[in-house]
Amino acid sequence: MMSGLPLWADLSFSVLPQQLVNGLLLGAIYALIALGYTMVYGVLRLINFAHGEVYMLGGYVALFISWQFGFTQDALMQNSTREGSLLLLGLMLIASMLICGFIGLLIEFLAYRPMRNQPRIAALITAIGVSLLLQYAGALFLPNSPPPSISEKVNPYRGEWRITLSQPSGESVAALAAAKATLDQRTREFDEQIKQERSKFDLSPAGVAIRDQKNQADQEFNRAQTIVNGQKSEIVLPRGQVVMFITSILLMLGLNLLVNFTKMGRAMRAASHDFDTASLMGINVNKVVTLTFFIGSALAGAGAMMNTTFLGTPMTTFSGVQPGVKAFVAAVLGGIGSIPGAVLGGLLMGMAETLVVWLGYGSYRDAVAFVILILVLLFRPGGIMGSAAVEKV
Amino acid sequence: MTGISNSFWPVRLASVVGVVALCFALDRVVLAAAPAQYRLLILASLFVILAVSLNLINGITGQFSIGHAAFAMIGAYTAGTLSKNPTFANMPPAQLLAVMTLIGALTAATFGFIVGLPSLRLRGDYLAIVTLGFGEIIRIVTNATESLGGSYGMPVAPKVQLLWWSLLMMAVCIALCRNLLKTTHGLTFLAVREDEVAGLAMGVNVTMTKVVAFVIGAAFAGAAGAILAHTEAFISPRTFPMEMSFIILTMVVLGGTGSITGSALAAVVLFAIPEYLRTLTDAQGKAYEMNAGLFMGVLIGIMIAVAASKWIQTNVHEKGKKLGFYAGAWLAVIPLGFLFQTILHLSPTLKQLSFGIDILRYAVFAVVLIALMLLRPQGIFGHHEIGWHWFRKRPAGATEGGAA
Repeated sequence: MMSGLPLWADLSFSVLPQQLVNGLLLGAIYALIALGYTMVYGVLRLINFAHGEVYMLGGYVALFISWQFGFTQDALMQNSTREGSLLLLGLMLIASMLICGFIGLLIEFLAYRPMRNQPRIAALITAIGVSLLLQYAGALFLPNSPPPSISEKVNPYRGEWRITLSQPSGESVAALAAAKATLDQRTREFDEQIKQERSKFDLSPAGVAIRDQKNQADQEFNRAQTIVNGQKSEIVLPRGQVVMFITSILLMLGLNLLVNFTKMGRAMRAASHDFDTASLMGINVNKVVTLTFFIGSALAGAGAMMNTTFLGTPMTTFSGVQPGVKAFVAAVLGGIGSIPGAVLGGLLMGMAETLVVWLGYGSYRDAVAFVILILVLLFRPGGIMGSAAVEKV
Repeated sequence: MTGISNSFWPVRLASVVGVVALCFALDRVVLAAAPAQYRLLILASLFVILAVSLNLINGITGQFSIGHAAFAMIGAYTAGTLSKNPTFANMPPAQLLAVMTLIGALTAATFGFIVGLPSLRLRGDYLAIVTLGFGEIIRIVTNATESLGGSYGMPVAPKVQLLWWSLLMMAVCIALCRNLLKTTHGLTFLAVREDEVAGLAMGVNVTMTKVVAFVIGAAFAGAAGAILAHTEAFISPRTFPMEMSFIILTMVVLGGTGSITGSALAAVVLFAIPEYLRTLTDAQGKAYEMNAGLFMGVLIGIMIAVAASKWIQTNVHEKGKKLGFYAGAWLAVIPLGFLFQTILHLSPTLKQLSFGIDILRYAVFAVVLIALMLLRPQGIFGHHEIGWHWFRKRPAGATEGGAA
């Protein structure tokens, strides 16, 4: 816990690029989930509270598929080929997307469709109920923190790329080498001395002097190290996360094609613009809503699969709550109902979160989403890409 | 609304004296007859305060707030921090509890004012999300503040358990909400709920009304929180999770949004059921455990019955046929449950799995919430109140409240 504001001097700007990249990678997942919120809100004007839980279930689906095919941590597919594990990753992705899509459909059909003509608050309470049910009923049956990731051994995308932005200057490297040499020398002297002493904790005056010299050398070495680290700036890109990012972008581009260049996409846009008029114009709005829920939930499933696979976050049935809330904030930030807005909002949310951690307020990283939400709703309720008009219900 | 009759003040005075006497009497009776239930009764009355005060915001004023636990948390932490102060620490327990309740209420009311302000611009689901967010911010900040004990929590000294005080606060809360609705000030709350624009046209100060609703609701939640802190003698951010807000919401929704007596009754029932289930033991004296397969089966059966009831509600119109269909749907739950249990038991893992009955409660709350919204969105009592007027003969044409 930090006390008071951190001084600018305390902040390490050399890790800033890395943090921004981390934020971008995290934001891609938020964007995938936010798309589900924004599409459903666009068509039905309903905050689908259970969307975070669909995301959570997607992670479990991916884990169960991977177990089924022998991707467990001890019985790893020892002799699997790169092609084999690629195929299995693809299978996990497709299974998560399909099953999540169907869960989304089921929730819509059982819980939201009967509420279509009720006040929006009633639908919202139903959504809260579905979300609680999936969390707590799920917690009774699904294992907590199952051995998560396949990332380390069978992942064909292990390792990382490093991009060096700036090298430390020659003199500071030389200073570091000199400090290291001094430290080694002092350590050796102290080791010699300790053999003649009675014990490590009961030193003679000569021993104390040597120990102090050693500690001083240690401090100088650390100082030199800090200087070098401050000058060196590089970005570490875990390859799995890069694959995750690229897949997310591809899925979003696919969604963009679907919404803007197909007949069904046009129907979706029409229903989003005016639900009742669209149904009068001969659009099968039920079909549109079904498709919207399917696509939104499938995207969340894809995000969940990649998150559990490449990041290996331990799972509980409650692990969908925080990403769900943050993705919802991302959707509001980008302008709820707007698809490019959700993507932009997701990336911004990811970066905001890592920046808060960088500033030294790591324990507030979950609160920043709500602060952003309140500020956006108070000052620009339409979000960045949405209209600035205050919504009249 | 008739003018004040001659008997108004004597009757009012008698009822106040009666309520205070009843609180003290109940306190004595419980202490003598069932001391083990003393603490539980305090907690139940606190949940009644929370539900009725949330009902003032949600049901009566129609502003949808789902962050009510945060106000209780503010009250609790205010009481916990201030009672360490030597000025308060040397007071006699009852006086200390009274002062802490008052201060907790005032602090929470201040925060209620701050949260009420966004409600001037936001409506419906957006307001719901903002109140939820506000509650989470309070919880996360408390969790990260070491001077408040951080995530470890904070012991509260002294431990003061006084049933009569919490009952009295409950009576004050219920009486205030009830009497508010009988005045012209109270009618503005209803006007805001029913139609803001029409209310505005009629000269209702909508802004003022909303903020006042938030302030009063928050103040009572803060008072409940302060009493809770001294009753349990320990508070932590985990005492007030997001789920607590949802439980209070379920109480309000179940009792009927807008019905004070409904919320109070629902609060008692929803608080008592899990506590009762927790005391259940089997023949060997172990905590009762339920088979996972059976629970899942019954849950699925109930959900199917709820869906069927919804279908019957919309598609069957003959009264006799309707009742028969309902009976059929709900009687089918039992065989369906066993059928699903048989199917689920094909998996050996599920056959082994069983769990203590008290951890089922959130799942049960969730099912109650969904079923209620599908079948009777206005809650069991709707806008109606339980009271003497049920037994009085109604004048022709006059109805109380009316279903939403």
